[in-house]
Amino acid sequence: MYRYDEFDAALVNERVSQFRGQVARRIEGSLPEDEFKPLRLQNGVYLQMHAYMLRVAIPYGQLGSAQLRRLAEISEKYDRGYGHFTTRQNIQFNWVELKDIPDVLQDLADVEMHAIQTSGNCIRNVTSDHFAGATADELMDPRPWCEIIRQWSTFHPEFAFLPRKFKIAVTAAAHDRAAIRVHDIGLHMKQQDGTTGFEVHVGGGQGRTPVIAAKVNDFVPESEILDYLEAVMRVYNRFGRRDNKYKARIKILVSETGAEEFSRLVDAEYAAQSAHEKIDLPGDEIERITAYFKGPKLPTRPLESTAFNDARVADPDFDEWAAVNLHPHKQAGYTSVTVSLKPIGGLAGDATTDQMMVIADLAEAFGHDDIRVSHAQNIVLPHIAIDDLHAIYQQLQRAGLATANESLITDMIVCPGLDYCNLANARSIPVGQDIQKVFADPAYQRDIGKLHINISGCINACGHHHVGHIGILGVDRKGQEFYQISLGGRADEKAAIGEIAGKALSQEEIPAAIKQIIETYRSHRTSKDERFIDTLERIGHAPFKEAIYAAD
Amino acid sequence: MTSVRPKLKPEAPKAITAWDTQTGQTVWMTPDGSWSVKSGDLGIFVGDVAEAKLSEARGQESKVTDPYFMEVTEDGAICGRETLRENIRSNGPTVAYGKAGQALSSTLGK
Amino acid sequence: MPLIKNNQIIDNIWTYVPDDAPLGDESHIILGLERFLAERLQQRSSNKALGVRLAPADDPEKLRPYLDELDLIEVDFPKYADGRGFSQAQLLRRRYAYTGELRAVGEVLRDQILYMHRSGFDTFSTTRADLSDVMAALDEFSLSYQKAADIREAVFGIRQKR
Repeated sequence: MYRYDEFDAALVNERVSQFRGQVARRIEGSLPEDEFKPLRLQNGVYLQMHAYMLRVAIPYGQLGSAQLRRLAEISEKYDRGYGHFTTRQNIQFNWVELKDIPDVLQDLADVEMHAIQTSGNCIRNVTSDHFAGATADELMDPRPWCEIIRQWSTFHPEFAFLPRKFKIAVTAAAHDRAAIRVHDIGLHMKQQDGTTGFEVHVGGGQGRTPVIAAKVNDFVPESEILDYLEAVMRVYNRFGRRDNKYKARIKILVSETGAEEFSRLVDAEYAAQSAHEKIDLPGDEIERITAYFKGPKLPTRPLESTAFNDARVADPDFDEWAAVNLHPHKQAGYTSVTVSLKPIGGLAGDATTDQMMVIADLAEAFGHDDIRVSHAQNIVLPHIAIDDLHAIYQQLQRAGLATANESLITDMIVCPGLDYCNLANARSIPVGQDIQKVFADPAYQRDIGKLHINISGCINACGHHHVGHIGILGVDRKGQEFYQISLGGRADEKAAIGEIAGKALSQEEIPAAIKQIIETYRSHRTSKDERFIDTLERIGHAPFKEAIYAAD
Repeated sequence: MTSVRPKLKPEAPKAITAWDTQTGQTVWMTPDGSWSVKSGDLGIFVGDVAEAKLSEARGQESKVTDPYFMEVTEDGAICGRETLRENIRSNGPTVAYGKAGQALSSTLGK
Repeated sequence: MPLIKNNQIIDNIWTYVPDDAPLGDESHIILGLERFLAERLQQRSSNKALGVRLAPADDPEKLRPYLDELDLIEVDFPKYADGRGFSQAQLLRRRYAYTGELRAVGEVLRDQILYMHRSGFDTFSTTRADLSDVMAALDEFSLSYQKAADIREAVFGIRQKR
């Protein structure tokens, strides 16, 4: 993984000092809240229902063991013994005090971490494929470019007061696990005539107006990508709407301007850049950064592991877990392990201090110090020898981290909802927990197969409900919580926005409604190999809607 | 900031709630105009007095952040459209979290 | 309102004249973009020094042909959250090579001044910061990841020269 040099370290430390001064001015009274707010947001500090919340950046979702240990320590020292991993591969602490945040940031800086631009109307943390550098199905490793984009976008003087927040995601695999088509900019790495470059998608997003991004450029060579991104950002900064917060994202500019005209504006801005304006990233610098991502040197291992096969026979729970939570590695004898943060009846994406410590220890002992956070709010150990799986599993199990549900129905994306969030209209967590209880049986879950349920507590869609195969949106009706079900969303390379199934239901009605949807799927699927989303696409929404509302 | 804050009639009884600027804790204005982290200590204000207390609160930026009116009954109980939200602010999340949440989920999984 | 340039408080000799107001006898006047474009020939003969104030939606390219005759361009930040002025400044300095005074006016907050300076502003008119604040703000970061309108070299480049 990337390591800071003296320049990166100096900048992060200077940021801590700067924020320490800002907090002091806020507390002493010379900096009013209205002016402090954009500053604290650009350091990831929110004021939520119960307390300040600090969102710490985990660039493209990668952590080392020392970093995860530091997060665990922070959760114990400054919070209430846990942290919450988010859909943008970050972590949030829910109970920190403002006066302590400068110290927390210093603790982070000491392990090469920060909270820079994790909120606010600026370029946010760059996200990527959580299996990057390990998966068998990628063209190349996207992380070097994520890091380059991280550096370019950090403290960019022109783009710190954009019309609205701005999110970039990068993938290099055919199967998109980074949801690039629902980002402000989605970059898909490609090769063309021996040159590395990017297919550029702009204007995707969720929230109040969900939009699938438009492809604005088939191929921008890597030598030009930062200048191209500057052009996109400048067009957005100058022409994005600022009259209405809900129409200020770049997706509205792209849709109101038209993708073709928008693309033309970007091309014109790009063409107008004079030589001295070009970023001119030295090739040696690309190589220097790329070298950090070579990945561990993994000893050659046999394809089959007798120890692994024997353990599966001897330990049926392990067998269950191994069938569900592993992802093919590019090297024989290895695999990528998903550590589920979705225990039945738990809090999606939450990990306690002890759990973070356990994962850090496992990564150090077995996983070449490499830890990832997935946008589905789980943890991944990307480079694990198949021989070591049973030992790892047993430790995970003791820590309550061995739920066998990766990409199954109980592996839901759930936003914090009204239990924590000031913007929420309804609670999300209890709804998710109630659904999990219906599908807790591992055999039942596996029978249902891959299926994404995503839950948001308000229209801002932090729980990605628009792109869940089944989406659930909490709404407020005269002070009562109701939930609207949508069907057919997806966040992958066939990204689509789900369609609302019908009238909103009460919290009590939701688990049964989901059960009806699932039973409808099971009775219509051609075989167990046909996934829910494929059956839905084949037979249409009508039978599912009928099933949901049959009881009326 | 909360997405919706209902407008309350001048004669309606109301409390004033905010966040402690240093700690972020939820606080309520007491009858004597100081601040408490316990909603049980809240003062009930009406009419011009309520408005005066709110603007007094707004003038205490370094002590409390974003004060606003919260609907209460004449006995000081949280009521009205935002009852659920204000109860959660007052009592904390409705779900067990941290170690307690983990213990609960381990009894439900197998 | 203090006016700060090159780490010093300077006197303001300029007067902004709103679009609907008549011109007085001031020697240094600042006009809105459209008025400047409409009246510049006529005002040149009056011996007045002319400056322009850009509103956030104004296209600075319209000034490109006249940059040599301008001693001052003001960029207005009616709300601090409106960051269009940062792009206007970058365009004026880097693309159009404007070398005169570039002044940030309006809601100019202490903690925006470094980014403003990097975007090309050399003068700040602000009630929200005094001279020591401005000097401290400009000094908060010793390095930058990007090239911009100031003299700093980007970290990307510095690394390769080590």
